[in-house]
Amino acid sequence: MTATENRPTYKYVGTRPVRHDGYDKVTGKARFAADLMLPGQLTGAMVRSPHGHAKILSIDASAALAMPGVKAVVTGEDFPTLDPTDPNHDVSVNVMARGEVYYHGHVVAAVAATTKAEAQAAAAAIQVEYELLPVVLSIDEAMADDAPIVNSTNFTRFVESTGESNLGTVNKFDRGDVDAAMSDADIVIEREFNTVEVHQGYIEPHACTADTGADGKTTVWCSSQGHFAVRSLTAAVLGWENARVKVTPAEIGGGFGGKTTIYLEPVAARLSEKTGRPVKFAMSREEVLRATGPAPGSKIKLKVGANNDGELVALDCWMAYATGGFMSFAAMTGAMSIASYKLPNLKIDAYGVLTNMPKSAAYRAPSAPQAAFAVEAVIDEIAERLGRDPLDLRLQNAAVEGDLTAMGMPHPKIGFVETLEAIKNSEHYNSAVPDGAGRGVATGFWFNIGEQSSATVNLNEDGTATVITGSPDIGGSRASMALMAAEELGIDVYSITPIVADTESVGFTDVTEGSRATFATGMAVVNACRDLITDLCGRAAKVMGVEAEAVQWVDGAAVSDGHDPLPLAALTKQAKRTGGPLTATASLNAAGAGPSFACHLADVMVDEETGQTTVLRYTAAQDAGTAIHPSYVEGQMQGGSVQGIGWALNEEYIFDDDGAMENASFLDYRLPVASDLPMIETIIVEVPNPAHPYGVRGVGETGIVPPLATIANAIASATGVRMTSLPMSPPKLLAALNER
Amino acid sequence: MADHRRFTGGDQVIEVDGATVAAIVAALDERYPGLGEALNTASSVGLHGEIHAEPTYLVVGDDDDVYFVAPLTGG
Repeated sequence: MTATENRPTYKYVGTRPVRHDGYDKVTGKARFAADLMLPGQLTGAMVRSPHGHAKILSIDASAALAMPGVKAVVTGEDFPTLDPTDPNHDVSVNVMARGEVYYHGHVVAAVAATTKAEAQAAAAAIQVEYELLPVVLSIDEAMADDAPIVNSTNFTRFVESTGESNLGTVNKFDRGDVDAAMSDADIVIEREFNTVEVHQGYIEPHACTADTGADGKTTVWCSSQGHFAVRSLTAAVLGWENARVKVTPAEIGGGFGGKTTIYLEPVAARLSEKTGRPVKFAMSREEVLRATGPAPGSKIKLKVGANNDGELVALDCWMAYATGGFMSFAAMTGAMSIASYKLPNLKIDAYGVLTNMPKSAAYRAPSAPQAAFAVEAVIDEIAERLGRDPLDLRLQNAAVEGDLTAMGMPHPKIGFVETLEAIKNSEHYNSAVPDGAGRGVATGFWFNIGEQSSATVNLNEDGTATVITGSPDIGGSRASMALMAAEELGIDVYSITPIVADTESVGFTDVTEGSRATFATGMAVVNACRDLITDLCGRAAKVMGVEAEAVQWVDGAAVSDGHDPLPLAALTKQAKRTGGPLTATASLNAAGAGPSFACHLADVMVDEETGQTTVLRYTAAQDAGTAIHPSYVEGQMQGGSVQGIGWALNEEYIFDDDGAMENASFLDYRLPVASDLPMIETIIVEVPNPAHPYGVRGVGETGIVPPLATIANAIASATGVRMTSLPMSPPKLLAALNER
Repeated sequence: MADHRRFTGGDQVIEVDGATVAAIVAALDERYPGLGEALNTASSVGLHGEIHAEPTYLVVGDDDDVYFVAPLTGG
C-alpha cells in the first residue's frame, strides 16, 4: 500500500520489475565471497584470545610452522603500529591485537595452510602466554571512579581529554531551561531503560580472498558494504598505498551496518604476501558472533515533562552506550536521533563507554532504536496517564519542517505527520484489538546521509546501456539504478545492465551506510544520464541540421520541430559518425539526504503462564520520499521491522564473567524466523525529498527504530506491565508479570 | 555542538562574517582559539536544511544560519 503526496507520475520509477540479479541469486549462480577458489589457494585460520582482557607476553609459532601444510604465520609484529590518534588505529588493532587483547575472541595471530584442517590444527598449536587483566563488562563498572582501564590507547573525543579513560565520546546537547520546564510541567515521567548487545545477524559470514602478486599488488575479493572502504582500510592497516590494493566486490549476504568495516582482509593480504599464494578466510558463525561488531548495549535515564493538554514541554536524558573494547560514535548518534518532537526544552548527556566486549559496529540506524525504545515508551505512558490516544498525542507534538532536531538544527521537509496519519487511517488501526491482546504504537526516524558516489553510463551501439556504480547491491540497488536510468533515457529497464564494478573500474564511492545508495549513487546515475542526454541532443542536432538548443529529449527520443524523432537506438547506431562513443561519468558529494520517519503498529498476545509474546499483526508505515522500486522499499521496511522485533523479544549477547559469549550460535542466539511472525504489512508514505531529482529518501535503516518500543507498548497494553529492559524474553517477562 | 562551548564560554549562537565555511571557521578560531581545529576535525554543517559532510568550501550567504553538527554515520 502506498500513501502518496502529489508527485509527478513516472513511466519506470515506482514500478516493480524483477531485479536484474534475481536469476543468479535464486539459482545459486551468484558468487558470494566464500565461493571463490583460485589455483594454489591457501586457507587461513585465526588464533583468538581465550580471555576478555589480557596482556600478550609472548607468542610462539614454532610448533605450528613445523606442521604439515603450514606456509606462514602472522602476528601483530607483521603490521605497522599506528598512532592512537590515527583514524584507522582502532580498526588496525581490532584486526590484529598488538600486545594486549581487549575482548574474548580478539585475534592475536593467524595461519595460512594448504587445507582448512591444517590451518585450524596449526592455529591451535600456537602458544600464547597471557597476563590476565581485569575484565569490565557493564556500563556501570566502566564508568565507576575506580574502574580498570579497558583500553589504554583510548582517549575521549569531543571534550578535552584528561588522560586514560573508559569514555570514548562525550556529547551534550541542550536548549531552553529544562529544570524550570520540568518543575512547571503538569506531568513528569522518569524511567531507566537497559538494552544489551545484539548482532546484525546477516546470513553470510565474513569471508575474503587476497592474492598478492610478484609486483606486490594485492587483489581482494570480499563481501562488504563498500569495497572502496575495504581498500583504504586494508591499505592503512598494512601501511600500503591504496594503489597496491584492488578490491572486487562479491555479492553480499546481508550487512545491516556490520559490513562497513573490515576484519579479515589485511591478514589475508599479509599472509598472501608472505606465501606468494592466494589466501582465503571464511569466518564460522561462532567467529561472527564472538568477534564482529554487535550493536552496543545501552543504559538510558529519561525524564519527559508534559502539560495536561498533551503538549510535551521538556526532555532530560542521560544515555550511555557500551561500545566494546574501542571507541565508537554510538552515543553521539543515539543523542542526535532522539525524540523528533516539538520540544522547547531539551538536555541530553551521551557517553560512549568502553567495555571488554567485541568492538561494536553500526546496525541499521545505529543507536536510534535504543533511544526510541526509551522515548517512545515514556510518551506512551504519558498518553496513558492523560487518557489520550497515543497516536493523537504524537500527532499533537510531531516535528515538522523548521522544528529543531536534538542537535539544534531545523528539520528540512519531513514526513513525520504523514506517517502518523497513514497509521491512523490504516485498516489495522481502525480494527478492533483481538480479545486478550494488546496494541502498541511507536515511531522513529533516521537522518540518512549523502556522501560521495560515482557512476558511469555507457550507451551501446544498439541503444541498450550499461550503468556502472561502486555501491554494492545490498537491497536491490541494481534495479533502482536501472529504473532511474530508464526514466531518464526513456528506454526499457531491461535494456539496461546495472553492474557493480571493482575499485579500479569506477570512480570512488563511499561505503553504503546511512541509507545512501539509492539517494546518492542514484543521483550520480541521474546526473550521468542527463549529461548523456545533452550529448545525445547535440548529436541529434547534427543529424537534423538544427541548433542543439532546438532539440529536446522526450520519451527516449531526440525531438525537434519539423523533424522526425530520433530514438536512442538511431543515435547510438551512428555514434561513430557523430562524435564517437556515448558515455558519461558523474561523481558527487551529495548533500540533502532527507530524513525518513516511520510509525509502527503491533497487536500482541502474551501467554501469562510462560511469558511468551506472540505478534498477531504488525503494520509499518514509512516515508520513502519516492519509492523507486516499491517492492524493495517494502522489503527494507519488513526486514527492519523483523530485526527490531527480534531485538525486542529475544536477541541478546550472554557473557560469562570473563567476557566469553555463551550463546555464540543461532541455536542459542534466538533470531526470529518466518514461522515466528505474521506477514509484516507495509504502507509506503511518499513525501518527496526536494534535494533528490526523484524525491528519494533512504529507507534502509529507519524500519528498525520503532519496533522495540512498539512491542513494549503493545505488551504494556496487553498486560499492564511496562518492560524497561530488553529483551522482553519469556523468563524476563514472566518474572515481571509475577511481580505485578 | 555543546561540547564546543568550552571554547566559547558557553555561547551557542555566534555571529561572524565569512563567505565560505572555511572563512567562518577561521573567524571563529580567531575569536576563540582552538575552536577552529575542533570544528574542522569533527563537524558536518547544516545549511538550508541540508547536512553537508566536508563543508570547507561551501558558500555561505550574508544572512545564512550555519549549524555545526556532529558528523553523521549510518549502518
